[in-house]
Amino acid sequence: MNNHHTIEEKVMKEIKKGSVKLRSRYLFLVEKCGMGSALTLSVLLAILFCSLVLLYLTSSDNLGYLTFGNSGVSAFLESFPFLLMAMLVLLMFIAGILIKKSDISYKRPFGYYALGLVGIVVVAGVLVSATSIDERIEDEAYGTHVPGILFRPFLMQGVDDRQRGVVGRVIEVGDGYIRIQTPQTVKEVDVRTLQTRMSEPLIEGLFVMAIGEGNADAFTAKDIRTIGSMDMPMIRRGVHRHFGFFMGFPIKPEDEVCLRDCIQEQTDRQKCRELCLNSILK
Amino acid sequence: MASSADISDEQLVIAVRERDKELYSEIIQRYQTKLSHYLRKFIRDHDELEDVLQEVFIKAYRNLYGFDVHRKFSSWIYRIAHNEALNHIKKYKKESISLDEQEWEVIDESMDIHAKVEEDELKKDIAKALAFLKDTYRQPLILYFFEQRTYEEISDILHIPRNTVGTLILRGKKMLKKILEHKGI
Repeated sequence: MNNHHTIEEKVMKEIKKGSVKLRSRYLFLVEKCGMGSALTLSVLLAILFCSLVLLYLTSSDNLGYLTFGNSGVSAFLESFPFLLMAMLVLLMFIAGILIKKSDISYKRPFGYYALGLVGIVVVAGVLVSATSIDERIEDEAYGTHVPGILFRPFLMQGVDDRQRGVVGRVIEVGDGYIRIQTPQTVKEVDVRTLQTRMSEPLIEGLFVMAIGEGNADAFTAKDIRTIGSMDMPMIRRGVHRHFGFFMGFPIKPEDEVCLRDCIQEQTDRQKCRELCLNSILK
Repeated sequence: MASSADISDEQLVIAVRERDKELYSEIIQRYQTKLSHYLRKFIRDHDELEDVLQEVFIKAYRNLYGFDVHRKFSSWIYRIAHNEALNHIKKYKKESISLDEQEWEVIDESMDIHAKVEEDELKKDIAKALAFLKDTYRQPLILYFFEQRTYEEISDILHIPRNTVGTLILRGKKMLKKILEHKGI
């Protein structure tokens, strides 16, 4: 019993002396609010990055390379949004740690919270990507203002030059080559060594994607195909940002459809150009 | 007006925080025996135990505003004691189990061991057996059988889900029994 008295006396002596003080209630409040804010911020950013990943996958050339089969895999991997994905995983990881550190998280197995977190981020990410927020962020990313500019490193990969694949707008069709405008530069694509026959002829104004090998200015295509008028809007926006519209004018999706249909029926490119792009070329 | 002995721990905490710091001695009186009993499962040396116990009360006092009065104070202060004990073990790399006379009986009844655990030799065996168990199983067992804490309180002290507490206690009991049987007890 004596020992107990000693402990009580010692502790109370320290308290009375003032050397042991109550930590301010505001400190705990700030700590709680800080944790809450950090958790909210990391979840919101994770949702935003999830929607940017979806934007990237649905509007860049990344998934398009898989339509080439096995030979498109290396171009797919080259264009895969690793940085965006890494950021998304990092944010989810931070949110997970904050949840684990919270006062009540131990009440249920952490797996439940992890599953809930992934569910919330994915569902909210899909909803956000259904709005135009992510496209506005993409637009801002190529501007000059903060905070939009902070997203540039993450989205830049979508319009970067690649060595295994290329996407761009045809501006010249020559003998055994085409010249295309990519979001970064003008490239000459050698089409003499195509391993498969092209399903449709090429014409200026259309967008094409190819796999093969290349460098900053030239590319040797193994396979090439035109892309739909509504496909890969991120690439289209990139090309428009860099070079403006085709010959200074926007080509509407219906013009592209017209060009494609016309070329399927007759091979006279000049006629098709006149027929479909008449209003632009006048 | 009710004396400090009649009010709940949580009300006492509010009183210490807002009115009278000296009422904290009542909290110390209420918990020093219980916590000392609990800490003895981790710390054998008497002086070290006293130091850790003192640190527990000081830490609890400092962080009194961090306690949510809608929850159970006992679980909160047990958690502080638990963490302090683990820190102490980590710091001095010492781990021991020491049980008193009544606790051997608890082991005897709860584990359904038919032999009487009276001889010193056997007591040592059980202490060793408990020491053989992983912390994951040992801690809930100690809290449940020796500290008479409920599943809910153990969940709050160890920060593990309530259902997991039940599973760990059940598995821990089986393991302890196996270890003891293996030793021929």
